Amino acid sequence: MKLSREEVNDIALESRLLLTEKELDGAVKYINNFLDILDSFKELDLTNVEPFSFAEALECPLREDKVNAFTNTQGIFNESEHVDGSYFKVPRIMED
Amino acid sequence: MSELTFTPVIGIEIHIRLKTDTKIFCACSTDTDAPANTNICPVCMGLPGSLPRLNHNVVEKGMLAGMALHCTVQPRSLFFRKSYFYPDLPKGHQISQCDLPVVADGYIEVHDAEGKLKKIRVNHLHLEEDAAAMHHSASDGRLEGASTSYVDYNRAGMPLGEIVSEPDISSSAEAVEYAMNLQRRVRYAGASDADLDKGMMRFDANVSLKCSDGRWGRKVEVKNMNSFRALERAIEFEIKRQKKILQSGGEVLQETRHWNDAKGVTTASRVKEFYRKFIVEPDLPPLIVNQEWIDRVTAMMPEMPDVRANRYVHDMGLTQEAADILTDDKNTADYFEACVKAGANPVRAANWVRTEVLRVLNEMQKKISEFSIKPEVLAEIVRRVDDRKLSTTQAKEVFDYMCANDSGLDDAVKKLGITEGGVAGNALVEIIANVIKANPDVLAEIQSGKDTKGKKFKFLQGLVMKESKGQAKPQEVVEALTAALKQ
Amino acid sequence: MELYELDLYEASKGIKDKKFSPKELFESCKKRIDSCEDKIHAFITRTDGTAPVTENPNGIFAGVPTVLKDNLCTNGIRTTAASKILGNWKPPYDATAWKYLREAGAVLMGKVNMDEFAMGNTCGNSAFGPTHNPNDISRVPGGSSGGSAAAVSAGYVPFSLGSDTGGSIRQPASYCGVYGMKPTYGMVSRYGLISYGSSLDQIGPFARTIRDLQLVMSVLAQYDPMDSSCFREKNPDFTHNEDASIKGKRIALVKEFQNFTLDAPIAEAMKKTQKVLENNGAVITEVSLPVVSKYAVACYYALAMSEAHTNLERYDGVRYGYTVNDAAGIKEMFERVRSYGFGSEVKSRIIAGTCLTEPSRCDEYYVAATKVRTLIAQEFIRAFGECDFILQPVTPSLPHKIGEEDEDAMKGYETDLYTLPVNLAGLPGLSFFTGYDDATKLPVGLQLIGPRWSDSEILNAGMILERHLGSPKIANGGVK
Repeated sequence: MKLSREEVNDIALESRLLLTEKELDGAVKYINNFLDILDSFKELDLTNVEPFSFAEALECPLREDKVNAFTNTQGIFNESEHVDGSYFKVPRIMED
Repeated sequence: MSELTFTPVIGIEIHIRLKTDTKIFCACSTDTDAPANTNICPVCMGLPGSLPRLNHNVVEKGMLAGMALHCTVQPRSLFFRKSYFYPDLPKGHQISQCDLPVVADGYIEVHDAEGKLKKIRVNHLHLEEDAAAMHHSASDGRLEGASTSYVDYNRAGMPLGEIVSEPDISSSAEAVEYAMNLQRRVRYAGASDADLDKGMMRFDANVSLKCSDGRWGRKVEVKNMNSFRALERAIEFEIKRQKKILQSGGEVLQETRHWNDAKGVTTASRVKEFYRKFIVEPDLPPLIVNQEWIDRVTAMMPEMPDVRANRYVHDMGLTQEAADILTDDKNTADYFEACVKAGANPVRAANWVRTEVLRVLNEMQKKISEFSIKPEVLAEIVRRVDDRKLSTTQAKEVFDYMCANDSGLDDAVKKLGITEGGVAGNALVEIIANVIKANPDVLAEIQSGKDTKGKKFKFLQGLVMKESKGQAKPQEVVEALTAALKQ
Repeated sequence: MELYELDLYEASKGIKDKKFSPKELFESCKKRIDSCEDKIHAFITRTDGTAPVTENPNGIFAGVPTVLKDNLCTNGIRTTAASKILGNWKPPYDATAWKYLREAGAVLMGKVNMDEFAMGNTCGNSAFGPTHNPNDISRVPGGSSGGSAAAVSAGYVPFSLGSDTGGSIRQPASYCGVYGMKPTYGMVSRYGLISYGSSLDQIGPFARTIRDLQLVMSVLAQYDPMDSSCFREKNPDFTHNEDASIKGKRIALVKEFQNFTLDAPIAEAMKKTQKVLENNGAVITEVSLPVVSKYAVACYYALAMSEAHTNLERYDGVRYGYTVNDAAGIKEMFERVRSYGFGSEVKSRIIAGTCLTEPSRCDEYYVAATKVRTLIAQEFIRAFGECDFILQPVTPSLPHKIGEEDEDAMKGYETDLYTLPVNLAGLPGLSFFTGYDDATKLPVGLQLIGPRWSDSEILNAGMILERHLGSPKIANGGVK
C-alpha cells in the first residue's frame, strides 16, 4: 500500500472533504489500486517526450479588449443564499 | 569572539494591475469605481461550464511592462491552475502563467549603500487573474475578530502582472528604490497606472539573513504590503526579527508572515497554504507571441526615464537633479519637452516646470494632463523673459494669474496692467513726479547738496521702479529722475 | 404510426410540409414520455409542462423536441450534473451547443440523467437514482450520458445531446441501440458544458439514424469564440450524401485488441460488420497500437482525475448550489458543503486527482501521464498513416443488470479501453448499431474511429453500415 489511511484522509481534508469511515475505506482502496496501475508508466522511457497539452498545434485565441457587460447579473445573484445587499457574505475566515 | 554580522538577502514579488478596459478572461469592465458586484459574469464568477478567454491587451500590456524592465518576450508561454480554497477565489484555483511566463530575464538599477549603481535582476513577469476583494466586518477592518466577510467579485479576474525579482536586494532602501523605479518604468510604458492607493500595486518580500558564521536563515515570505513605506518597514522589521533569532542561536522557520501595518509587525500566517504543483490550464492553448507582434510592441515603447534624464543632462545641460525630477513622471517630462520644442531655453524651461508648474499643480491637486497652461504657452512666457519683454517677477505674476483665472497669456498681461515695452515717456515722468511729491524731505535733502554719496537718489530710483512694477528701464529712470530733480 | 416514432429528419420535414403541427409532435412525444418514464427514469428535470414555443419556425429543427444531458447549462432551467452539490442551480446562461439547437428551432423537453459530473459508465451514479435501459429495464443504459441515450432509444425525442470524456456518448449509445457521435476535440464548443476532464470532454449527439446525426452535427460544428479550444478554420460538411462510398478505404482492426475476449454477440457483430465493409469495397487491414493498448487506461484516469479535481474546486456553496447557513467559519462551510454535496465516487476521484498532482508525486504521475498521452496521440497519427478508419468494439460485453456491481473495481476501467483512447488523442468516434442479439434481444453496437477532423467521413461510412445492417427500432421502454 502506497498511501496509508491517514495520508488519504489528509489529502481529503486538503480537498475540503470530510469522509465517513466507509468512504475512507473505499478511497484508500481506490487510490492504492490506482497508483499501482500508474506504476506501469515506469516501463516507458519518457525522457525525451514532450508533455501533451493540446490535440494539435493550437494557439490561444485572443479576445479584443472591448467591454461587453453581462446582462443577467440578477440571474447570478438569485442563485446564492449568501447575498447581503450588493455583497456576497461568508462566515469569517477561521484559520486552522 | 568577533561580532557576528548579517547580510540580508531579499527578493521581491510585485503585483501590478495591467491597464486594460476588460478583465483578463472575460469582457467585464475593469472600472475600479463601479459599485460592488456589478462587473461580474459567468466566467469571473467561476460558474460551472464557463471558460476563460484571454484578453489581447493584457498580453500586450504585460509585454510592455516586461520590456520596461529590460525583459525578453517569450515566444511561447502557458497558463496553469494554481489551487487554493478561499472565498475570494471563485474557481478554487487561480489561472496563472507561473511556470512558463510571457516575459523573462530583465533587471532594474538601484543605488547600493555606497551610492553605486547595482542591478537587481528580474526573473520574469507572468500574467494572472486577481482574486475578489474581501471586506471584513470588524470595526478596524482587520481579519481578527471579524464575524463575517463580504466579497466583491468586481476585482475577480482583473489582469495582473506578477514581477518576480532575484534575491539581489540587500536592504530596505534598495527594496524601496527597486519598487519605485519599477513603478515609474511600468507607468512610462503605459502598462499600468500602478496606483498604490487603488491597490494596483502590491508587494510581497522574501527575506532571509546570511550570517558571517556561515549559517543562512530560511526564507520567510512577508505578505500584505500596500505602500512603499509598508515595504520598507516590513523588511526592516523582518531583518531585526530574524537577526535576533540567529543571534540567540535559534532557527528561522520557513514560513509565510503577514505585515500588520497598524501594529508595525509581521505575524505568522495561520492560513495553511498548500503548495501544489500546478496543472496545465486545459481551457487555454499556449500563448504564442510572434516576432511581428514583438516588433510592434517594441515600437510602442517610449524612452525610459533614466535614458531620458541622461539626455537632458548631456544634450540640454540640465543638472542630474533637475533631470531626475522632470523624468519622474512621464507626462511631466513630455510637458517639459513640448516647452523646449516650442522654443524655450531648456534650462530655464526646466526651472519653470520643476518650480512653478509642479508647485501650482500640487496646490491645485491636479495632474499635468489637466493643467490649463499648455507647454507652448509656457514656452512663450520663458521666451518673453529672455527677450526682456517681461521681468522674472512679472512673468511669475502673469503665470499665477493665468493659473488662478484660467486666462490666456496676453489677457493676463493686459489685466495686470503690464504694457509691452515697459513704462517710459510721459508715464515715467508722471510716476517720478508723484514720487517726488510724496517725498518732499528727501527732495529738499538732495537739492541742498547733502546727498553726496547718492544714497537718497537711489532711494527715489527704487521707489520709481516699484511704482512702475519693474517695467521701467533702469537707465531711463536715472535719466528722467535726474532731469526732474534739476527742475 | 405515432408521431413520436418519427426520426429527426422525418419530423422536421413533416412540420415544414405542414403534415402535422409542432404541437401535435410535442404532445405525442410527451405522451410517450408519460407512458414510459416511470420505468425508465431518464429525466432529472422535465420542461414539457407547457406547450413548446419554437424560437425559429424556419430553422432546421423547427418544433422538434429534444433533451439535454444535465451537465449542459440552460438559462433559467435547473442544471444539476446529477449532483446534490448543485442543488437547484439555474444557470444564468445557455451552453453554446444548446443555444445553437435553440436557434435552429429545437424545443426542450427536459434535462436528462447521467452519472454525477459524468463520472461513471452506468448512469447509476446519480444523485437522482439510476436510469433503466429501454431495451430491458432490468439493465443499465450505460453512461455517463445514459439519460440522453435512453430518451432517444425509448422514442421520447428523435435526438439528444450528451458529452463524452472517455466513452460517455459511445458506450450508452451502444447499450441502448442508437447512434452516438463523439466529435473531434475542438469541433463543438464546450462553453456551458460542466467540465469533468476539460482536455477530454466533447459534446455530441444521439439519434436513431446516421442522417439525423449528420443534421445535428451540421448545427453543432460551428466555431464559438467562447471556447478557446474550439477550432476556427474547420468547416466540416455534414450534408447527407446517399452516393458516398467507402470503396478502397482501408479499415483496420487493432492487432493488440485481438487478444482480449469479447462477449459472443459482440465478436459476431465484428465479423458481420467486416463483411459488410468488404462487400462495399473497403479493405480490412490491421494496425498496431502497443502503447494505447497497454497504457491508455492508466493515462486516461490520471489525466481525467487531475483535471477533474481542479474543475470541482469551485463548488464551495458561496455563489450557487447546495449550501449551509450556520457554519462557524469558512473552512467548516466548504467542508460541510463539499462532503454532503459530492457523492462517494466523485470524492474518490477528487482525492485521487489531488494526490497525483501533489508536488511530491506530480512528476511521477501527472507529468508522466501527459507524456504518455503524447505517445498515444503519436501512435494514432502513425496508425492513420496506414489506414482510414479503425473498427473496434465499444465495450467487451453487453449491458449488465442494474445493481450488479463489479467485484473488481478496476474491471470497470478495463471496459473503457475501447473508448477512452479516442479522447486522449482528440479523435472522432462513432458508436453504431449492428443489430440485436438473438438470445437477449439487446442491441449490439460497434465503433468506427478516424483521424482528427474525419467526422463527416466517419458518418458517411456509418450511413453505408446502416444501410446494410439496418437502423435500430424504438425500444419498448418497459411497456408491452
